[in-house]
Formats: sequence, C-alpha cells, structure tokens
Amino acid sequence: MRNVIIDEVYQIMKKNKDSYFLTGDLGYNTLEKIEKDFPGRFINVGIAEQNMIGIASGLALSGKKVFVYSIIPFLIMRCFEQIRNDVCYHDLDVTLLGSGSGLTYGILGSTHFALEDLAILRSLPNMTIFSPADEMDAKLGIKFSENFHHPLYVRIGLREEAKIHQHPYNFKFGKGVVIQKGKDLVFFVTGTLMEEVIKASKIIEKEKGLTSTIIDIHTIKPLDKELILKEIHGKKVAISVEEHGKIGGLGSAISEILSADKKLVHLIMIGTEDLFIQTIGTRSYLRKNLQFDSKGIVNRIKNLI
Amino acid sequence: MLTDKEITHLTNLSKETRRQILKMIVKATASHIAPSYSIVELLVYLYGKILRIDPKKPSDPDRDKFILSKGWAVSGLYSILAHKGFFDKKLLDTYCDDGGKMIAMTTINNIPGIEASTGSIGHGLPIGAGMAAAMKLNKINKRVYVIIGDGECDEGSIWETALIAAHHKLNNLIAIIDYNKWQSFGRTNEVLNLEPLKAKWQSFNWQVIEINGHNFVEIELAIKKSHLSKDKPTMIIAHTVKGKGLSIIEDNNDYHYKTPREKELLVAKKEGLI
Repeated sequence: MRNVIIDEVYQIMKKNKDSYFLTGDLGYNTLEKIEKDFPGRFINVGIAEQNMIGIASGLALSGKKVFVYSIIPFLIMRCFEQIRNDVCYHDLDVTLLGSGSGLTYGILGSTHFALEDLAILRSLPNMTIFSPADEMDAKLGIKFSENFHHPLYVRIGLREEAKIHQHPYNFKFGKGVVIQKGKDLVFFVTGTLMEEVIKASKIIEKEKGLTSTIIDIHTIKPLDKELILKEIHGKKVAISVEEHGKIGGLGSAISEILSADKKLVHLIMIGTEDLFIQTIGTRSYLRKNLQFDSKGIVNRIKNLI
Repeated sequence: MLTDKEITHLTNLSKETRRQILKMIVKATASHIAPSYSIVELLVYLYGKILRIDPKKPSDPDRDKFILSKGWAVSGLYSILAHKGFFDKKLLDTYCDDGGKMIAMTTINNIPGIEASTGSIGHGLPIGAGMAAAMKLNKINKRVYVIIGDGECDEGSIWETALIAAHHKLNNLIAIIDYNKWQSFGRTNEVLNLEPLKAKWQSFNWQVIEINGHNFVEIELAIKKSHLSKDKPTMIIAHTVKGKGLSIIEDNNDYHYKTPREKELLVAKKEGLI
C-alpha cells in the first residue's frame, strides 16, 4: 500500500510545482524516485520530528502543499503539539503520511506500533483522518487529496494487502463504502483488517446462518454518521473493527454517535486492550494471537450474536 | 549609518511604543509587560528600518517576514503594526477584550501583519526556517526574522532547527535572542545555564553577533552584518533588560506576570510613560 501511496503522491508533485515532500530520515528504498525527480522539493530533515512539522508549517504558510512522512508514532506522537499548534490551528495544507498502522511493525514491538494514533488525532479540530482498507482506497484517497488543502493524516499499512475494492468508485473523504449487505449483523471496519472481517462473515454465515453487512469506514474523521445510523437500523448487533486500541478509535467514535442519537444497539468493539503488547511476533502472528484474524474475530463475537 | 536625527526618532518611537504597551496592559489588567518592554528597540528598528513590507499588501509573497516566537510579548508588536498602518489604531483599545480580536498571544486571527500564531515556545524558529526555505526554493530574495526568548532555548526543537538551518545554508534566516536572562521561574543561568551561548550557536555553524539589544547603533551593525552572510543563518544575541524603560520594573521578574498599578504608574508618570 505504501508504494501505491507514494506513486500517487509522485503524480501530484509532478503536476503541482508548489508541493514539497519532507521525511524524518525514513523511507529508504521507497522515496528515492521523489528525491531524484523533484530534488529541490524533497527534504530529508533528519531525525527531528518537531522541527519537521515546524518546517512543513512554514512552507505551508508560504503557500505550499506539503507531504510529511515517517513511522506513525514518530510522526504523530513525538511532535503532536506541533501538529496541533502549527498545522491544525493554522489549518494548513499538510498531509501526514504515517507508515505502519496498528501492528504492522510486528517484531519491532510497542515503540513502533500505532494503537493510539486515531484516538490522539481525533481530538484535533481541522484534522481529517484517512485509514484505507486496501490499495484502491489508498489510491483514490491520495488522488482526491490533490484538491484538498487542509490537515490530512493517512494511516498506511506497509506491504502487500488483500484487494478489497475490485474497481474504482466515487471516492470522497467522510463517505463510507458498503462492501457487502446482510440482514443480521453490521461490521464497521477501518484499515487492513477488512480482509479478515470478510472471511469472518463467511464463517459466521456458515456456522450460525447469520448474514453481515460490512462497511469500509476509510475516513475516521469526519465520520460518516448518516451511513452508520442507516446501517445499524434493524440490526441486532454492530461490530467495530480496527487495528487500534479500543480507547478513542473507530469504536469510540461510533459509540459517541449512538449515544448522542439515543440508538440502542449492542456495539461490540474489536480493538487492542489497555495493555502494552508483550507478545513478540510478525503482524500475522500477532493478529492470530490477539484474535484479530478471521477465526479470532468469530471467537470474540460468537457468544454475543 | 544611522544619523543622530534617526536615532532620536527611533528612540522617541520606542518611548511611544512603551507608552502604548503600558496603556494596553493596564486597561486589560494583563501580564507580560516586562518581556514586552525588553524587545521594543528590536521591534522598532526592524519595522522602522528593515522589513520590506507593505501594509496595503500584507499577503504579497515578495515580502520580508517577522515572527514573534515569544508570542506573549505581542502588545509591542500590535502597537507597531498599528503605527505602520496594518490596522486601525482603535483596535489597540480592545486588547484582551472579551469577544475581541486582540488576543494576549501572537495569533493570526485575521489581524494583518501577523505571520504565524505562536505561544508555545520553540515553534517560531522552525516555522521561520520553513518560510526561509520556501523563499529560497522560490527564488524570492527576501528574509525571515525571528525573535526568540532565552528560556525558549531550553526547548529541543530550537536546536533541531539550529542544525537544519545551518545545514541548508539558510542565510536569509536571521534569529534574535531576547537575552534578558530571566525565564518564568528564575534567572536563566539558575534554571538551565545557557552559557556559553555564543559558542553554542557558533558550533552549530551559525554566524553569531552579540549586542546590547537597546542600542540602535549596535542593532544596525548586527543586522547589516547578517545581510552579508553568504551561507550561514545569523543569530543575534541581544543582551537586554527585562522591563527596560520603566525603572521600577527593570530586571524584576515579578513583572513577567504583574500588571503595573498605582506604585508603578506613579514612576511611569515621572518617567514620561503616561
């Protein structure tokens, strides 16, 4: 997914001579094409994220469109105040490209995981949060962002992800996409766990005879409130799925809507617990171990549906 | 070289600015008179003699930029911007008013002439460096000036920018430290000793000039020298007095927070600030 995103950013930078790309010394073997073809507009600022966001803001205040790249915790957490005060408070055309959603960095452990980023960024006014489920989502989203001139966060899975959307569709930030329709359950999913949810829904249909609606919530902020309220209507159970903590992410955001709208539906939140993950392993191992794979998802909900 | 007549003019303008600051702060019962007073000569000189800006065209891309990174010292900046015609002088009377526009922190907020919203320290210099880089990349032959506080040099982000500005030879970036030797809780050398400050910035490959920050001749020489730099950003270490210009508040850190009242205003009257 990262390569697709960088390719689309490249296309934007090719057309928009007032666009810049900043990296915090990361992206080896990924960003070289941008560095080579747009030499004046690619800056490796070194491992200094607070300064990186400040520089991005200075460029954006001078009328530039700025892309900023790093691994999610370094990009979002280390320099959060700069994102808040310099980017969001000024409402600038800065796109934060965060690599390594959720448990992507597997064997590197907690310092490289991104399980709080949605919670943290949801709290910022003017921030749009984009969490693509596959390469098509990612491609359409970046393309759309060419004419989007406000703070944007893109949550990137790293490598080959399953293909969810077969064809391009009419993309818009804040508009969820129906992946499949069912009668009994509704899954609201963000990010690359979509593949596991689709598999899980097939298992549930086979074992319990229950069918599922599955919605791709590719934009966490602004949330597609209308679609969410529409799709829970008539459903016994709603399930939110994210490779992120239960606190403050997609599940929390949906809860906020449900309680404000006085909707009584059982919302099961699938996300990581309020604990640092002590298990070591690749992302697929961790997904299995922490019950984020299709079997795990079924396990989590089978006695509640 | 500044003539005597010019120096007199700048000195008078400085006094008028201090009068205005005092008026605004007393009316609003606000803080920060001392840190506002320490940078008056610097602001007066920059806006009076140096910044190539046009109040009729505040967004002209071909302009010099000034960022007040120590954002709480904004009252002097507002006063000088009004004096220069960026907005109506009457707005100064609304400083800190409920529902008003004139916040007690440097904020863009639809006020022409403000280049960046600051307030948390360590942000203005990186933003300024970004603006300086944009000018270079767009071949705009203008400069960015940033005033930072001395306590602000405690923040890591300042030193991150020190590294990158020198690395990328941002000779159009000129920073000035308001070295009044006080921060919030105590003297800078008691909280986190910055010395040797000049040596630090020099070792980061900046051109460094030390001056008396209240002396126009020295300010002029430093700015001139900064314009001659071919490949280094400039750091002007301006030795200043917190509260300079009103004897009873000079070098007294109470007046970082305290609003001048009867006692101080009596002295202010005697010294021609009312």
